[in-house]
Amino acid sequence: MLRKLLSGYAALEDRYDELLVAPGEPRPHWDAFLRSLAEREGPGVADSLALMERQIRENGITYNVYADPKGADRPWEVDPLPLLLSAREWEEIETGIAQRAELLNQVLADIYGEQKLLKSGAIPPSVIFGHSGFLHQVQGIRPPSGVHLFNYAADLARSPDGRWWVVSDRTQAPSGAGYALENRLVVSRVFPQLFRDLHVQHLASFFSNLRESLLRWAPKGDGPPLIALLTPGPYNETYFEHALLARYLGFTLVEGSDLTVRDGRVWMKTVEGLKRVHAILRRQDDDYCDPLELRSNSALGVAGLTDCARRGTVMLANALGSGVLESGALLGYLPKLSQQLLGEKLLLPSVATWWLGEPAAFTDAWKRLDKIIIKPLDRTVREPAVFGADLSADERVLLKARVASRPQRYVAQEWVHVSQAPVLERGPELRGNHLSARTVGLRVFAVATPNGYRVMPGGLTRVAGDGDSRVIAMQRGGGSKDTWVLSDGPVNASFSLLSTTVSADDLVTARGNVPSRAAENLFWFGRYGERCDGAARLLRVAIASVLGNVDANADDLSDGLVPVLALARRFGLIDSSDNPGTELLRAATHPEEGLSLRLRQLSRVAFNMRDRMSADNWRTLNRLIADPVFQRGSSLPLALGWLDRAVTSMMTLSGYVLDGMTRGTGWRFLSIGRRIERLSSLCNALQVATHEGRAGGLEWLLELADSTVTYRSRYLVAPEWLPVLDLLMRDDTNPRSVAFQVKGLVEYVDKLERAHGRFAGDVLAPVHAGLLSLRAEDLHPESERLAALLVQLQDAARTVSDELTLKFFSHADSRSVLSLVA
Amino acid sequence: MQTQTQSQGGSRSTGQRYTVEHETRYVYAAPVSQSWQLARLTPRHLPWQRLLSCSIQIDPPPDERHEAPDSFGNSVTHFGLHGAHRMLRVRMHCSVEVADRPPVDDAPFVAWESVRDTVRQQPELDDLVPARMCEPTLLVPLSEGARMYALESLTPRRDWLEAVTELMQRIHADFEFDPGATTVSTSVDEVLYQRRGVCQDFAHLMLACLRGHGLPARYVSGYLLTDPPEGQPRLMGVDASHAWVAAYSPECGWVEFDPTNDQVADSRYITLAWGSDFADVVPLRGVILGGGTQDMDVSVSVIPT
Repeated sequence: MLRKLLSGYAALEDRYDELLVAPGEPRPHWDAFLRSLAEREGPGVADSLALMERQIRENGITYNVYADPKGADRPWEVDPLPLLLSAREWEEIETGIAQRAELLNQVLADIYGEQKLLKSGAIPPSVIFGHSGFLHQVQGIRPPSGVHLFNYAADLARSPDGRWWVVSDRTQAPSGAGYALENRLVVSRVFPQLFRDLHVQHLASFFSNLRESLLRWAPKGDGPPLIALLTPGPYNETYFEHALLARYLGFTLVEGSDLTVRDGRVWMKTVEGLKRVHAILRRQDDDYCDPLELRSNSALGVAGLTDCARRGTVMLANALGSGVLESGALLGYLPKLSQQLLGEKLLLPSVATWWLGEPAAFTDAWKRLDKIIIKPLDRTVREPAVFGADLSADERVLLKARVASRPQRYVAQEWVHVSQAPVLERGPELRGNHLSARTVGLRVFAVATPNGYRVMPGGLTRVAGDGDSRVIAMQRGGGSKDTWVLSDGPVNASFSLLSTTVSADDLVTARGNVPSRAAENLFWFGRYGERCDGAARLLRVAIASVLGNVDANADDLSDGLVPVLALARRFGLIDSSDNPGTELLRAATHPEEGLSLRLRQLSRVAFNMRDRMSADNWRTLNRLIADPVFQRGSSLPLALGWLDRAVTSMMTLSGYVLDGMTRGTGWRFLSIGRRIERLSSLCNALQVATHEGRAGGLEWLLELADSTVTYRSRYLVAPEWLPVLDLLMRDDTNPRSVAFQVKGLVEYVDKLERAHGRFAGDVLAPVHAGLLSLRAEDLHPESERLAALLVQLQDAARTVSDELTLKFFSHADSRSVLSLVA
Repeated sequence: MQTQTQSQGGSRSTGQRYTVEHETRYVYAAPVSQSWQLARLTPRHLPWQRLLSCSIQIDPPPDERHEAPDSFGNSVTHFGLHGAHRMLRVRMHCSVEVADRPPVDDAPFVAWESVRDTVRQQPELDDLVPARMCEPTLLVPLSEGARMYALESLTPRRDWLEAVTELMQRIHADFEFDPGATTVSTSVDEVLYQRRGVCQDFAHLMLACLRGHGLPARYVSGYLLTDPPEGQPRLMGVDASHAWVAAYSPECGWVEFDPTNDQVADSRYITLAWGSDFADVVPLRGVILGGGTQDMDVSVSVIPT
């Protein structure tokens, strides 16, 4: 079996192979893994893989390639096979990375402090000042405990001789730790037994270190410590990771507009008022963080943030300006700097890199062009790296001229033939999976702690696409792997993530913090959720009546169909009633119409609050939107089946809200949204019923309001106006009645008003009174009193929604405007 | 516009006193709910410039305000308004005494290439400022056009002072002063193409020319006397704050060139702030919430006393 698995796998002469030490002979630390894989070949593995793919899709793990508002999220690609690293091998990487992080932090402290390294020429000033990451505005700022570089990541590659090299340093807002975590969760489920048997080191301690260090170093005051994770927003390519980390670490996910600066301190705008923010884990680029002092055209940042850092009232992780260390030219100076600053040899060397601003390096580079890559010193300069070997004679001349005009902007880097590792290729059948070799690179992560840098045991293994084996980039269609660091003995298996680090203070803070933007999303999630449910139920009732009609296309529509179609028109689901079958089918199953459009609205709001959605919630929603009915043509009976699925799923989503959410402020906003929407659509349905449905039966209305069962159990007669209107208007124990919605709204609004002042209670009081005073004599379709009340109720629903928006979400529509004055 | 010869300015030996008023007014169509502002409106203390008094009045009175120097040593007034307002007025009033800058006429010959090389080899000169002022910035990015334009003046082994002076003269001669031609965001390459602009554009262009060849130079903002003394022509750039360029050589230090008026700065030039480009010295820069469309009006007056 083992031989069969390895049959297609070829090691290359000029590369290190992670798997094989010689053709057909695996390295010792892969032995156990391969053996087990070979034994499970066949349906067992296929099942695991299918499970894994479903998990990725349903958990919504994505990497947003281009900021596309329509949500062109690409599913994250994880190879089921982890990259295995032996304990000994890992130790070298671990010490090397910790040392390098320490060194880089000291370099940063000097660049923004005394600048001795620049004055002495140990680092040519051009390497620093010429890099867009250098921010003169933060000169002189010393962050808490001198930690500029709180998070650090390095991209490593292995050369043919088996040594690891640093290809680049990520020092600004390193991404990937969250994806590494997600890969671990997914892959360890595919191989649970192996994961235990091989004593794979756990990642949890890295994240608890991160959290503890931030809590320890954050300045204090104005209430319990509050840590925010600052994201550029849902359209950022790694937003999934921001949401995941915020949820995992228990930080509040915020965008720039959620924060504000007063009196030199940072505050979060929550529905409960301003709350002081003590530390910000920032995933937003340096120069976009503060439109007041930094890049003025940034709409993303927090005006005045730099000054808060200057005054030491907030801990920024990483400190502003840390991106300057990503200057490609710095790599070449690190060995000397290590000796000078740490008195130690640099343990983990960088891939040989020369700054072409040095005349000797410039001359030398053209002699060995075949072996090097020429790239801009600044990663933000959108100019691709050039492999010297690829160039024709003419192209070489052109490149040389371009570089010669400004050599200080370029570096030359040795072209390392990067190692390769196995990925699992799917066979056409369940059998026939085999291994093939792909280029891999390893991103590793370190975090500062009071006892030095701690390195995540593992990391994100990145896999090149099968096109170009030289370029490893997520944006170019590469994939990823989990990274298993094996240990010789049992690992500390207490997988109690973070639980030991929660203090009494956290218990308090963990409640309140609902940023106004999040509250707004929750409110609309409630409204759109209810809107989808209503649309699905209405379409189901309508299609069922069409199918029940003996002659669906004839003029004599069944009595119930007239008001149903009128209501569908009122809700904009269909345009006319001329050809109801076709119209309804379109509304139910066309991917660009009716129900689908509403589901997408819901999904967009959900997308904006992914940090608040449980995985189960998210999975349910993703299944709905990706339902196969949208892909292929459909028929009315098929559509009916789909609508059953949709209604069930919407009920599942509601169930989560009822069962899975704490009754905090966030829940209240969501519930108000649902009640407003339900109230409004019920009123619409009752208006249509009393106007256009006087002649026909009322089964459709009960069905639409999900009250058929209740009605039948109470009244053993066919639906009649009095009992139906009583059930749907007055009965406040029926969760689908008008009274139930109004009662809930009164209660929730009252709770909010007690904490935040009046805004809508006055609007609800009269309609509530009107509802309570509704007499049995008014419960018939001709009642003017009933008609007037329905209009008032609709107005009230609209007004409460408006007042709520004005009171709690109003920051959303005022945009920041910048003025530059001569 | 005619040029002043620098010897006229250089012949004054005692300081000249000025009163400067610089007022900025904003009127907003809709209420502004939040406003954060940075004002760089306090003239610098310099060996040849004494600040006798300075006040900055803000109306409506800000809810918070403090002063802090920036990394160039300019004094920055940070202030914020957290209540709704429909207008904002910032009025600086100061009294300043300006004497002549150190003379550079008798500076020894130094080739411009050697200025470039010395700054590279001895980055510690003047506390790294020259080294910092050789690099491209957002508003003055590398411009091949500017580099080529400068070549005509930066001929091999030419004296630095002579070459830079000629560069200033050429910009003055080749470009037309035209307040309508550009905005605050007009790029150096656009200015090069249309051959017109205002003091800010000419300063940025001259910076791009010098930095393109590795020569350190910085952006200086300040004021020029509003009404010239009897018999002297009125200069350009007096209606608002003015801008010019300071170029560095180890031998002469920072020498201030005004390409808008084709002259080296003298006691008529009041220095407000300096930095790597306009963005570093903007007199009033802010972020507001709300406000809708806004009208802005600036007035500057400089009176000898």
